Parts: sequence; C-alpha cells; structure tokens
Amino acid sequence: MNVIETSLLGKRYRRTWALRDCTLGIPGGHIVALVGPNGAGKTTLLTLAVGLTRPTAGTVTVLGGEPAGSPEALDRIAFVAQDAPLYRNLPAADMLRVARNLNRRWDQRYAAARLERLGIPARQKVGELSGGQKAQLALTIALARRPALLVLDEPLASLDPVARDDFLASVVEAAEGEGISVVLSSHVLAELERVATYLVVLARGEVRVAGPVRGLLASHGAGLEEIALRYLRAGAPSSSRTEGAPS
Amino acid sequence: MISSVPAVPAAAARRRRPVPWTQLAWVALRQRRGAVIGTSVLLGVFAVYLLIMAIIQDSAYAAVTACHPAAALKCQQLAQAFSRNYWGGSGSAVQSGGAQTVSSLLLAIPVLLGAFAGAPLLARELESGTFRFAWTQGAGRTRWAVATLVLPAALLTAATGAFTALFYWYFRPFLADGQVSEMLPLAFGLLGVAFAAWTLFAYAAAAFLGTVLRRTVPAMAVTIVVYIALALAAATAIRPHYETPVTVAGWNGSAGAGWVTGSWVKAPDGRVLSQGDLASLSRHLPASVQNSPSPDAFTNWLTQHGYTLWQSVQPDSRFWRFQLTEGGWLLAASAVLIAGTVWLVRRRGA
Repeated sequence: MNVIETSLLGKRYRRTWALRDCTLGIPGGHIVALVGPNGAGKTTLLTLAVGLTRPTAGTVTVLGGEPAGSPEALDRIAFVAQDAPLYRNLPAADMLRVARNLNRRWDQRYAAARLERLGIPARQKVGELSGGQKAQLALTIALARRPALLVLDEPLASLDPVARDDFLASVVEAAEGEGISVVLSSHVLAELERVATYLVVLARGEVRVAGPVRGLLASHGAGLEEIALRYLRAGAPSSSRTEGAPS
Repeated sequence: MISSVPAVPAAAARRRRPVPWTQLAWVALRQRRGAVIGTSVLLGVFAVYLLIMAIIQDSAYAAVTACHPAAALKCQQLAQAFSRNYWGGSGSAVQSGGAQTVSSLLLAIPVLLGAFAGAPLLARELESGTFRFAWTQGAGRTRWAVATLVLPAALLTAATGAFTALFYWYFRPFLADGQVSEMLPLAFGLLGVAFAAWTLFAYAAAAFLGTVLRRTVPAMAVTIVVYIALALAAATAIRPHYETPVTVAGWNGSAGAGWVTGSWVKAPDGRVLSQGDLASLSRHLPASVQNSPSPDAFTNWLTQHGYTLWQSVQPDSRFWRFQLTEGGWLLAASAVLIAGTVWLVRRRGA
C-alpha cells in the first residue's frame, strides 16, 4: 500500500508552478525524508497530500487510494504544519480537548501520559511554551489521533539541537512502536539522515530522486547527503528518478 | 514510557461515523470564550442600566397615567415633566441622557457585537495559520466551519432577542403616550426582531469579510462601513417601501400615530407648494401673524386661507408586518453570507 501516491501532480500559484509533473509512489512503513532547498515545493506537496490544497493538475491519493482530503483520509492522517500552529491562548490541556473533540479517534490516556512524561504543564498556555515543548505538544496531539500516516512539515526548523534530538527520537519511537508511516520534510538532509529509510529529493517543483535509502546507498556507493547533492546539481528530473521498491 | 495502545481494527475505522455535533459545539464554544464573556458584559451593563431606569421611570409614569382628567393643566404639566426628565433631548446633561440618547447609543450595539464576534472567526485562523491544524482534523473542515459559524450566531441572536424584550419593557411609556412612534427608525431598530436581525447580519458579514480579507481588523472596519451604509439605506430608502404609505390630509397627524415619511402643502387651487413657495409665503404674512408668539400661528393662517397639509404615513399598525419583512431579508442575507463563508472554507487552499 502506498501511503502517498501522486500522478502528474501539479500546483500553480498565480503564474509560478510550485510543483509540477510530480509522479510518486511512497510505500508504507517508512520514515520518509522529503528534502530540497527552500521553495522546492515540499510544503506544497505535503499540503496537497493532506488535502489542505487542491491540485491544479494531476491526482494525489493517500493510504492506498483514498482521495487526499476525503473524510477517510483526514481520519487516518495526522498533519503538523510548519511551526506547529496551535491555539496560543489555550492551556495545553484544553488544546488536547479541542483536538479530542475534533476527531473520532483519540487516545486521551496516551496524550495525557505523554505530556506528563515530557514535563509539559497541563495548565500552561500554548503561547507560553518553549519551541521544543510546542513541537512536542503538536506531535502528541498528532499521535493521540492514532494515525496510519504522520506528516510533519519542517518539524525541526525552529528547534534547538537538544529539542531536535528529542523530537526525532519520539518520531522514531512512534514509527517503530506503533507501525506508523512518517513523512518529514526538511531543507537540511543531515537532520534526517539518521532516521530516514526512504528519500525523496525535490527541487524547483520537480522530483529529482525517490527511493529507499538502503537501495540508494547500495547503488551509488556514497553517503546520503552526497547522493542528494548529486541529484540536486544534476537537475535532470525524471530520467534519474528511481522508483521506490517495497522494503 | 509511552504505552502502546492496540490499533483500532481496520473494519471499525471503515465504518465511519462523523464526529458528533456536540463535540464540535464544545470546540466552537471554547474558542469563543472571550467573545461570550465580552458580549455578556456589554449587554449586561446596558441591561442593568435599563432595568434601573425602567423601575425609576415606572413610578413617575404611574403618576402621569393616574392623573385625571388628562386634559387638566396639572396633568399636562406632569406629562411634560415626565417627557423632559426621561425622554430628554434638551436641558441639562443629566436630562439629555434620557431615553432618546440611550436609544441612539443602543443602535450601535448590533454592528459592534456582530463585527467583534464575527470578524475573528475565520480571520484569526487564517492570520495565525491555525487553520492548518483545524482543517486537517478528523472532523473535516466543512463540519468544523458550520459549527464555528452557526453556534455563535444562534447564541448572539438569542442574547440580542432577550435584550430586545428588556428594552421594550423600558421603552413602553414613550410608546404609550405617543411620544414616539414605534415605526420611527430610532425605535424600530431596537424593537421587535430588528435588533437581533441586524446583529446577526453584522456577524455574518464580518465572518464572510474575515474569510475574504484574511485579517481581523480590516474585516471589522469594512463590516462597520458596510453596516452603516446599509442601515442608513434601510431606514431612509428601503423600509418606507415595504408597503405603500397612507396619504392623510390635515395638520395634526389625524391618521393616528405613525412614521411620517413625507409631507407637502397644497395651495387652495390644488398646486403643491415647493419649499421656496412656502418660504416666500411666510415672509409676506401680515405682521400680526409674523409677530405672534404662538408657534401654530403660521399653520393656522394657512388653514384659514385654504391651504392643506398632506402627509405620507406608515401607521403604527404596520409595525409587525414591517418587522417581519426586515427581519426576513436580513435573515436571508445572513444565511447567504454564512453559507458563502462555509463555501469559501471548503474551496480555500493553504
């Protein structure tokens, strides 16, 4: 089952194509690193996949054929947008209640226990939390929804090194412990190199390479960063794309 | 440690039941806690004031109604004193703070309440980026938008409706003694269903504009401008045409109480006098009339010389028909704006 499948997907904002001719099949069970320079179309691809945006061209389905943004898809995909937007004026506990009431599936015991373990005070307002705490709160909400797919847009951008490490550890734990597929985007591959099992490189709205990390490493005989750089420099999109093989 | 919880069976997940409205209502209310408190305080302060004034007024008004015979000088003076003290409009600052001033102030409440409650609903989500959270939850953005928009609308309508009932109780004496016609714009907007309907309209317009403009403060500003323009147009140009006005002859409002929407004077030969004609007529009056202390001297002279006054009047008996007409189109406009806002939310991209 492909967790995200796109076919000639394109999105145009006024005159510029943020994403173009994107054909991808990301298999389930991976931690997917979606990397590329700023403005490469990472956020556009993710917002299309979670149904926040409608495509200008092509199609995108998730979780084995559900249309992006459909009730079935929303029910089983948890999305954390860049900078983890949450209601700043609400205490953390009320933020959890809001999320609980906006979802059919919700594991309150898990959410409360996780906040306690992270030392996030339930009465603290979201706007008064540190960047790391806020990111963790957003992740807690996403995981308490018991999703099949977790989509994180630039989750590490605003975090300090310790918070980054903690956050990634949480993501890996959820992915391995609960079998959740994860897609993370970043403009710094080094951040995701340790955890990613699948790599998608985007540049200028086009997919440069997509495939399982193990396969890429074996076929290129170079480090992941080196491989990504090579594809970013080459600039030849579809010819060099490798299709993702099931792991 | 994070406890691993058994995954929901796939079959159960497929049997999809939407998130219940009660849950969405909780979210909508929790998000609007500040607005609910603000609205309650604003309406509460005015309600307490009206309540106190109504009680004070009532004993003074009881003296006016108990006075017999009503035509006696003593009773006339009592009635005039009541009007001066509680209706106001002239005299000291305390007296001018009477019902006339208070009603004028209250006419601003619908647009203020509506703009402050409606504008942030979507605009704040779009400004702060939290729509990316709200619209990707399991409930889906359509149900979320409906709950977000409809629940505050219902609460606002109920609160302003209840406020109207209190205001009517406070305002009764001025309607009863013919001081004010309930058809006059000042009273009409605060009685019946108009007050709640205008509040709902301001709210719906603010929510819609907030979604279009994506900014709370500009949405409020534009709402206030649009509202004032429409309210003025309604009072001067739209409302008088709900029904053909009654045309009556005579100087003393012989058609009974009502809202005079136009008046003109006819010469003995049936010609309608212009303002200029009237002015030149008044300049050429005999000195005895020009210098008369009585304010009615000019009209008496006109009557004696065969001139007639004509008025177009919307009588008080049409009050509820007019209220329901105005309430009806405002409700329809609000429903269109709210539906339009939901439609914008559905099609809006990130």
